[in-house]
Amino acid sequence: MFTAALEIPVDSRSFAANTFADDIVAPVDPTAPASLSDHALMLAVRDGRLDALGELFERHHGPLFGFLVKFTGHRAAAEDIAQVVFERMLKYRHTYRDDGSFTAWMYHLARRCAADHFRKANAAPYATDPSDLHDHADDRPDAGQTATTGDDHALLHTALARLDHSEREVLLLSRFQELSFAEIAGILECSVGAAKVRAHRALHSLRTVYLRLQKEPLS
Amino acid sequence: MMTCIQIREQLPALLDDRLATAAVRDLRAHLAVCPDCERELATLGQTLRALDAMPAPSPTPRLRARVYAAIAAEQHALRSAPAPIAPAPRPARPLWFRLIQPFAAAALLALGFILGQRQIPSPVAAPAPAAIAAPDTATQRELAELRQKMDAMSQLVGYSILQQQSRSSNERLRGVLTSAAIAQPDDKIINDLIGALALDPSANVRLNALEALYAHADLDVVRAGVLTSLPREQSPLVQISIIDFLAAARDREAAPALQKLSNNHQADLNVRAAAKRALGQL
Repeated sequence: MFTAALEIPVDSRSFAANTFADDIVAPVDPTAPASLSDHALMLAVRDGRLDALGELFERHHGPLFGFLVKFTGHRAAAEDIAQVVFERMLKYRHTYRDDGSFTAWMYHLARRCAADHFRKANAAPYATDPSDLHDHADDRPDAGQTATTGDDHALLHTALARLDHSEREVLLLSRFQELSFAEIAGILECSVGAAKVRAHRALHSLRTVYLRLQKEPLS
Repeated sequence: MMTCIQIREQLPALLDDRLATAAVRDLRAHLAVCPDCERELATLGQTLRALDAMPAPSPTPRLRARVYAAIAAEQHALRSAPAPIAPAPRPARPLWFRLIQPFAAAALLALGFILGQRQIPSPVAAPAPAAIAAPDTATQRELAELRQKMDAMSQLVGYSILQQQSRSSNERLRGVLTSAAIAQPDDKIINDLIGALALDPSANVRLNALEALYAHADLDVVRAGVLTSLPREQSPLVQISIIDFLAAARDREAAPALQKLSNNHQADLNVRAAAKRALGQL
């Protein structure tokens, strides 16, 4: 009933005899278009325009959540951590640098939040239960063409879970998040060369575990 | 000439397309003649393809609701934070305000004096009735004028409070919608919604606050808050919505206010009709 009021044309405001500033038609804010870069939006957040974080959330929560699901192997934990990441963006917005890369900063926060989460849970990253993975539909439009079988996904989840968490982290960052090795090195606080070596070693490890799992049935 | 070990170290970079053309040419030349390295490349590629094909799950809507609630809470905290040490200079008040200010203060003082005189019985003998009648009429006129001035001042104060709301209506609307999405709101959220209904300058925000309050119409504080908003509401659109709310909540406390509104010839015809209708429902 009330939502209909949103569509009332401006002329109908003459109906309101004496309103202060009846902005039934929402004003357009020219400084917050969706076309602003991530960096510009985060600088706006830093300067107190907190609503700009909503746009950043819309752009990045999907890939961030995907990273965290693969990293933790748990959707609920991934959702909790993603929430904390955005809360920390608000809390620590003043630490965002003028020359910063928003995506790199986000994953820098994400790995800290994940570490805190597991420390609080008093446990290492959960091992993945492969049976939990068949329930999740592939949301991508081309899923039908690209998806391997559910067993393959389960095998890969298991293989990822068996990697050392630093290997899993660098592999996921280098493969999915469209980050340069310079940015990954910044996130992991190591040299670019070290980041490359770690990513390549992680891929070798994953391959070894994955091939081994393919030869043995899932228990 | 690179060894197989050196070649294999570069295979991930080859799969990532992150190698220079010359290095790619050298690697390809080696792979063409080394079945072991070729097999190594094939299995790494297979692993990467499987990795890329992993489903990309989506979070539940809870994540969005929580993050937007956090943004709204931080905005609220930002607004209610203490003023900075060097606050921005206050905008100059209009000339007419500065002119009436001392008179209004004097008028308030006079009003207090007059009311005090009327409240405290005089110890001296009552004067003749004829002597009372004349000053009483003058006093009443004076009181009426004072009341008008006080009303004007209170409207001005209310207006300046609303002017201090620096957030855009979009942000405020988002805040209201975020509050509305919370299944078990606490007292603060309820208070914020009632505050938005009473004070927000945007009819759109007020309407949405009212809609969010529907879910809590069973609470006395909500019905009382909505009822209190009715006399100060200026927009007929919102007035009618408030009347509908009170009628739907079967709030008998609203009857006098509705009666008054239905008899108010200055009120909008649609509003008066809605008030009459609501009275019938109560």
